[in-house]
Amino acid sequence: MLLNFDRLGWWKYLLLAITLLTAAFLLLPIVFIAALSFGSSQWLIFPPPGWTFQWYSELFADPRWLESALTSFKIAVIVTVLSVLLGLVTSFGLVRGSFLFRDALKALFLTPMILPVVVLAVALYAFFLRIGLGGTLTGFVISHLVLALPFSILSISSALEGFDKSIEDAAVLCGAAPLEAKIRVTLPAISHGLFSAAVFSFLTSWDEVVVAIFMSSPTLQTLPVKVWATLRQDLTPVVAAASTLLILLTIILMALVAVVRKVLKQ
Amino acid sequence: MSTYSDASGAIMPLPKARRATGFGGVVPALAFVGIFFVVPVVVLLLRSVLEPVPGLGNYAQLIGSATYLKIFANTFIVSGFVTVISLLIGFPVAWALAIMPGRLTSVIFAILLLSMWTNLLARTYAWMVLLQRTGLINKMLMGMGLVDQPLALVNNLTGVTIGMTYIMLPFIILPLYGVIKKIDPSTLQAAALCGANRWQCLTRVLLPLAMPGMAAGALMVFVMSLGYFVTPSLLGGTANMMLAELIAQFVQSLVNWGMGGAAALVLLVVTLSLYAAQLRFFGSQNPGGR
Repeated sequence: MLLNFDRLGWWKYLLLAITLLTAAFLLLPIVFIAALSFGSSQWLIFPPPGWTFQWYSELFADPRWLESALTSFKIAVIVTVLSVLLGLVTSFGLVRGSFLFRDALKALFLTPMILPVVVLAVALYAFFLRIGLGGTLTGFVISHLVLALPFSILSISSALEGFDKSIEDAAVLCGAAPLEAKIRVTLPAISHGLFSAAVFSFLTSWDEVVVAIFMSSPTLQTLPVKVWATLRQDLTPVVAAASTLLILLTIILMALVAVVRKVLKQ
Repeated sequence: MSTYSDASGAIMPLPKARRATGFGGVVPALAFVGIFFVVPVVVLLLRSVLEPVPGLGNYAQLIGSATYLKIFANTFIVSGFVTVISLLIGFPVAWALAIMPGRLTSVIFAILLLSMWTNLLARTYAWMVLLQRTGLINKMLMGMGLVDQPLALVNNLTGVTIGMTYIMLPFIILPLYGVIKKIDPSTLQAAALCGANRWQCLTRVLLPLAMPGMAAGALMVFVMSLGYFVTPSLLGGTANMMLAELIAQFVQSLVNWGMGGAAALVLLVVTLSLYAAQLRFFGSQNPGGR
């Protein structure tokens, strides 16, 4: 009876109330920021005295915001490509291969996912200071790739594990070269894994703050670092405008994922 | 392929010799992870016992100072609070999601995912504004007559706890939902038939059955909270530092790599041992956060 919603009695309303309140709690900051980004109050008073596009025009008028957004995008795209390629090769090795310490290696590859990011950030910061990669695009790409690769390996490996290898073998028996069979038979079959790997890698890099704070230089910073640096000075509504654009991108990506999942399922 | 005949005369393939295959595929990733992950982390930890002088001096300083001990205490207390509150809110929500009718469930799932995927800084910024003295939350509390003076909700550990709970909730609701969804309703029917009232069904059947999920989720939220950097440093203010920020400060402002490495090792050991405990007892690995 506790697992039947209609037979819960008055508990039903209690559960419903907690759930709706929690949903409101989760939604509140997102809606609030979006509303404030159009509010005319510089002091972020809510409800705002009037509505304006002022903060968006300030955002777009400042070339540093645009520049940091482009930097973020460039890094995220490179990281996505590298992460999927490296993840694919590695997953083939991990899933199909049989060698000593295979499980230990897999665990090692996934460790960056559970390590506190600040530890990795500080460690890479020291390392890059020494080899001269601090504040460079390469430095950003490498550090974001360390964080993105585990998600890639996880998504692609699980897709590959779910794929029956005998189908690939059949293609080879029918005359396909081994590599051709992999490209024309296996890759399409695990495309949902590749897609998840790409989305996770992109978002990991695009949203990364902690490592990026340590990687950035005065001339090269990503959008989250720019937001971070601005927030340390004051709570200007320009950040609300930037945040709203970030949220919008998230919604677009989520919708894209939902659509692609549906298409891939058919 | 070499074959042999078994007792009945059937032709059987020989068991494959054990040899390494597919190792080539993992070499690039191994090199990458080795150079840009293992080496930097190991070097950082080594510096904690080598700089400024070899020995355990950095650790003695870390344990011997009241300031640093307070930071450890802050970190564990806030993480504990965040875990308990997330669990208290998360359990009923996960329960409701598991049994509620379809339409509403999918709306709430969409909200959960949206908040999870929304940029961390955007969400933290929202709380900085919401929790200000003149912010919406204080205005509402005063408007409802609950308080006369605006409460100090930001730049202290209250702010950190609110902001962190907000971020951790989806991480506890989603796994718990999975656990509760898998519970067979007939076990509860059986309990009811045997005369258990609703409260007994909850405390003696449902909660124990959901316990592994709650423990695993709580452990994950606790570990993630321990190492969190962004939200505590923006909502906590300078007087209420947490461990991750301490590490960053040692390295960035004080350029004290020995102490930075020592604090990092403490965080690392706690994190990894809790994960090891989780793997041991619950056998699942959950992706962490930042």
